[in-house]
Amino acid sequence: MTELSPLALAGIPGLVRCEQFDREAIAELLTEMTHGAYPHQQVYGDYCTVHAHIDCPPERVFSYLANPYSLLEWTYSVRSLQPTPTPGLLVGVDAQDTPLYCRVESHADALTVDYHCAWDQGRELWMVYLNRLVPAERVLQRPGTVLIWTNCRHPYYAKNPFPELEPARERTWVGDLWPFFYAGHSIELANLKAILEHRQRAGLPVGPQLLTPAGGGPGMPGERVRS
Amino acid sequence: MTRVSLLGVASQLPERVVDNSFFAEGTAARRGMFTAPTTRRHVQPGETAAHMIEQAARRLIEQQEIDPARDIDILCTNVAIPDQAFTGCGAEVAARIGARPRWVIDLHNSGCVSFLYQLDLARTLMASGEARGALLCCVQNAGGRLFSQAGVRQLTQAPIPGDGCGVGYVRVGDVSPLLSLVQHCQPEFAADMTAIAEDGRQYWEPGPSPIRIAFSEARVAAIIQRGNALVPELVRLACEQAGVAARDLALLVTNQPSPIFLRNWREALELAPGVHHDTFARLGNLFGAALPINLEDALASRRLEPGALVCMAGFSHAGDYAAAAVIRWRPSLHV
Repeated sequence: MTELSPLALAGIPGLVRCEQFDREAIAELLTEMTHGAYPHQQVYGDYCTVHAHIDCPPERVFSYLANPYSLLEWTYSVRSLQPTPTPGLLVGVDAQDTPLYCRVESHADALTVDYHCAWDQGRELWMVYLNRLVPAERVLQRPGTVLIWTNCRHPYYAKNPFPELEPARERTWVGDLWPFFYAGHSIELANLKAILEHRQRAGLPVGPQLLTPAGGGPGMPGERVRS
Repeated sequence: MTRVSLLGVASQLPERVVDNSFFAEGTAARRGMFTAPTTRRHVQPGETAAHMIEQAARRLIEQQEIDPARDIDILCTNVAIPDQAFTGCGAEVAARIGARPRWVIDLHNSGCVSFLYQLDLARTLMASGEARGALLCCVQNAGGRLFSQAGVRQLTQAPIPGDGCGVGYVRVGDVSPLLSLVQHCQPEFAADMTAIAEDGRQYWEPGPSPIRIAFSEARVAAIIQRGNALVPELVRLACEQAGVAARDLALLVTNQPSPIFLRNWREALELAPGVHHDTFARLGNLFGAALPINLEDALASRRLEPGALVCMAGFSHAGDYAAAAVIRWRPSLHV
């Protein structure tokens, strides 16, 4: 039997553990903390997580997500991606003509795919989209993949750190749209799910289906369609 | 459907005020689903439901200038712990107040939403053209009759119930019209609330243990989830049927099983502060009597504009019945 050292938790106030909170006391806390409805700001104020079940095997979802050119298909507005001189760093446009820099960090063993992005510059990629894929068989006892996607509200969302790079015209800063992130991400996740499930049902390659060679380097070739 | 109006409500509270020292040590400090009220009323031995209804009804009869023999065609009752084993007290009430109703309906279901269930029955009977006036009566007397018993009063559940009686008078017409009423029965939840005795006896069998409500952690969690969802859902449905928005309600009164539910319903409906009126801290869980008692209490403490929208809503037991109604409060008295 493994036991805690007697002083393991000494000096740490505020812990709720069964030694101090009996069943009745924890029931009080639980019911008090359980509301029927929650304000949007409370749920999505500092972190925005969306999740979905996708009827497509985890390996195929991973392969699709790990390819940054897939963003051209399932995102609302990331377009025209191309390599930069920095290996692995791509540049495209978002929100019509804002330069969007993006690098994918993925781990096949852990089934994680993170997009490190920024508007206007590629030196500090502070907009991080964290994706974790879970085999649905393991957690929901059904085929497919559970995708969990989280963004954390980096301080730069509140204020553009590089205003000098902002185009001269009026532009809505990405962080000002944070209150719409839940909706926006839900829309894009629904796109992602629809594309993957369609290709899975039809027995097609998972994609993305690209016209021109992407030149993205090893590990992200995509599947090209002849014109 | 024939238009019916809720003309008024009146209540009667037992004289005996019970504070938290009557119950287990630490009662006042409890939180969550078993948050205790500060005080509650208990009926005393011999204080019958028929007597409580009579007292409340007499006030209403006077206030509304009702001729009981002529104006009460329907008399409905719901009593938490009935006075007698075999029959309800409706006929005795009729005798006490001098009414000669064609229908006496002693309900032993619909608990905390009985007032609305009775209202629905009354308006349905009135639609037949055979009835014009109905007296609706709700009595909660489980506080004094059950939860004050030795062996129960030390339990966590004992301090919550409080006794009281609320009655309402409904008549065909447009004086204070019922705009909508939705009531649902969820039969799948019917078996989830049971009264048990420690010694395993049935309540009609002789034995030393008092009866109490069987709660388990899993059951409480399920009831919280149901209650959280049911009441806002039915309030929205009733508002939709009435053609109004929940945010336009001037007053919401509900049953009051726990301050947690009251908070959750307010939040879910995004009501302005003060719209949802309750008497939990003073009177505890009034079961079915909460709706008329809270309505009378609210009307005593605020002035509703003519035509203001009043909503009554709640759920009973473990979610077996739920209901909501929207009333346009007395527009015709002021035109």
